[in-house]
Amino acid sequence: MSLIIKDLYARVKDGAEILKGVNLNIPKGEVHAIMGPNGSGKSTLSKVLCGHPDYEVTGGSAEMDGQDLFSLSVDERSRAGLFLAFQYPVEVPGVSNANFMRAALQARLPKEEELDAVAFYKNLRARMKQLGMDPKFTARAVNEGFSGGEKKRNDVLQMMMLDPTYAILDETDSGLDVDALRIVSEGVNAMRAPYRSFLVITHYKRLLDYIRPDVVHVLYNGRIVKTAGYDLVDYIEEHGFDFVKEEHP
Amino acid sequence: MDTPAFNDADELSGKLRLALEQAEAEARLREAETPDRLNEDWRFGRPHIYAKALVSALESDTDNAGRITIQAPAACVEPMADDMRDGEMRLRSIGSDKILALHLKRFGKGICLCIDTVLADPIIITYETEGVFTPSTIILAAEGAAARIIERHIVRGSGLLVATRDIKAMAGADISLELEVSGESTSGSDQPRAMNITNIAAMDAQVRQLTRYSGLDWAREETVAEILHENTTIELFSANRLHGTQILDQHTRQIHSWGKSTSNLLYKNVVDGSATATFAGNIYVAPGAHETDAYQANRNMLLSEDATINSLPGLEILADKVRCSHGSASAPMDEEQLFYLLSRGIPRHDAQMLVADGFLADAVTQFRGSESDGNNTKI
Repeated sequence: MSLIIKDLYARVKDGAEILKGVNLNIPKGEVHAIMGPNGSGKSTLSKVLCGHPDYEVTGGSAEMDGQDLFSLSVDERSRAGLFLAFQYPVEVPGVSNANFMRAALQARLPKEEELDAVAFYKNLRARMKQLGMDPKFTARAVNEGFSGGEKKRNDVLQMMMLDPTYAILDETDSGLDVDALRIVSEGVNAMRAPYRSFLVITHYKRLLDYIRPDVVHVLYNGRIVKTAGYDLVDYIEEHGFDFVKEEHP
Repeated sequence: MDTPAFNDADELSGKLRLALEQAEAEARLREAETPDRLNEDWRFGRPHIYAKALVSALESDTDNAGRITIQAPAACVEPMADDMRDGEMRLRSIGSDKILALHLKRFGKGICLCIDTVLADPIIITYETEGVFTPSTIILAAEGAAARIIERHIVRGSGLLVATRDIKAMAGADISLELEVSGESTSGSDQPRAMNITNIAAMDAQVRQLTRYSGLDWAREETVAEILHENTTIELFSANRLHGTQILDQHTRQIHSWGKSTSNLLYKNVVDGSATATFAGNIYVAPGAHETDAYQANRNMLLSEDATINSLPGLEILADKVRCSHGSASAPMDEEQLFYLLSRGIPRHDAQMLVADGFLADAVTQFRGSESDGNNTKI
């Protein structure tokens, strides 16, 4: 059981090709990290996997536990177990966090089944406490007026509530101060399980010191050009990405 | 012919003046024409269809038989009296004097509230329309009075509602009015329609109004809010969702006859299908009404290529030292917001509804927020 991406090509709609043959295999239970210089296609990969309408798949495939990901709509992909923690979580004015989460969880139940509101709020408050979030955030509009760090925590809260099988964290560390980074990472680590995989996209070693990946990939110019263990993180921290640019001019 | 017995010259003069004013008002209404395309206030209102049909219905149907129920302290509710017609004569429409004249001919049904205290519980008035119904609501708030009023209209089948509303708030009064007008169709051929003419006059008082229209084939709102003394605040909100071929035609006037006062307007619509939402508003600041703060915003979300928005905000400022702004924005639903909700597994239709409700919530929460910020009225 894996997330298997084969020879994936994708472009911005009516624009340039950004992914140029990505190959990845993320088995259940593993944490994979993707690093790479700016503009290499890391965020594009996450958005393409989730079905963002600005991108178009021009070749290749992605399978999640044997299911063709690209045959599913955006919401179906989520209900099938895929989750994206956004690099820039979106503000949704007027929609409270609680209503938003309830709608997302209700969508996962059979039509005739009603979400247990008491259990829902109990779970929501417990997760918020775990992430150091003020309970007042349940009544606030989704991400509206949140600081960068609060938005990231809110995304991780959603991930905890939705309990996905494949979670992509797109630069979750950006905008987080040291304490928030630790709390969020602890939340992610608490979710590590044999039935769940993570794909962590980041520029920095500090996040990977907390969420220690099993496998590290370097994405450059739209392709995975290097795959190794955690040692690769230390190497990049010390030497940057020049070695990649030299090997793949 | 009997000669009226007047006690003194002042009274004679006063009564004569009143009689003259009444005669003038009646003549103005009597001489009014059915709104047509040349009537600027019906510019996008399809008067050849809706105004014509409305005038025809009011002229031919004389059975003014809607149902009224009210939940309010008995001391506040006055019976509708003939002399209250004077007030109706002086109501100002926005291009619909002919309709006001026909309404006046049918005067007699409605509710008069005389509020002279602080009411903790809301007053709830429900009007039910099945044929042609022309009720009047009169709200007189004495000095220091405070109340929250919910006026609900249910228009059934192909019913036609033409309702007027006259709100007067004296010094220190705090009045909040929530007007909900909903259509209930029982068959596909039903065409529930509604028209509301509201006049607000506030003197050193606070008045808030929220209007909501739903399920109506056609609705028109004309709200004239006038500030008659300094230290007055009038806030007007509206939040509506339209679909199918529904039409909502809203017209407002914020009249600042005195300075050192504030008016604020926020009208929001979500428009789907081939529905049409029209907003035409005007802020008028009279000469000498200095230190006026007046704001007006119309925001619309379009959910369909066939939906239509006509938005005409306006300003007419004849005083110095004022802060006034008006604005209008109409745009499709934000794709990033929608994607965010979809990415959490919320089905497209539900996600669109959530985003649309969130868009409208702004007007409702601002109304409720200012309601709870008011002197005494709490939800």
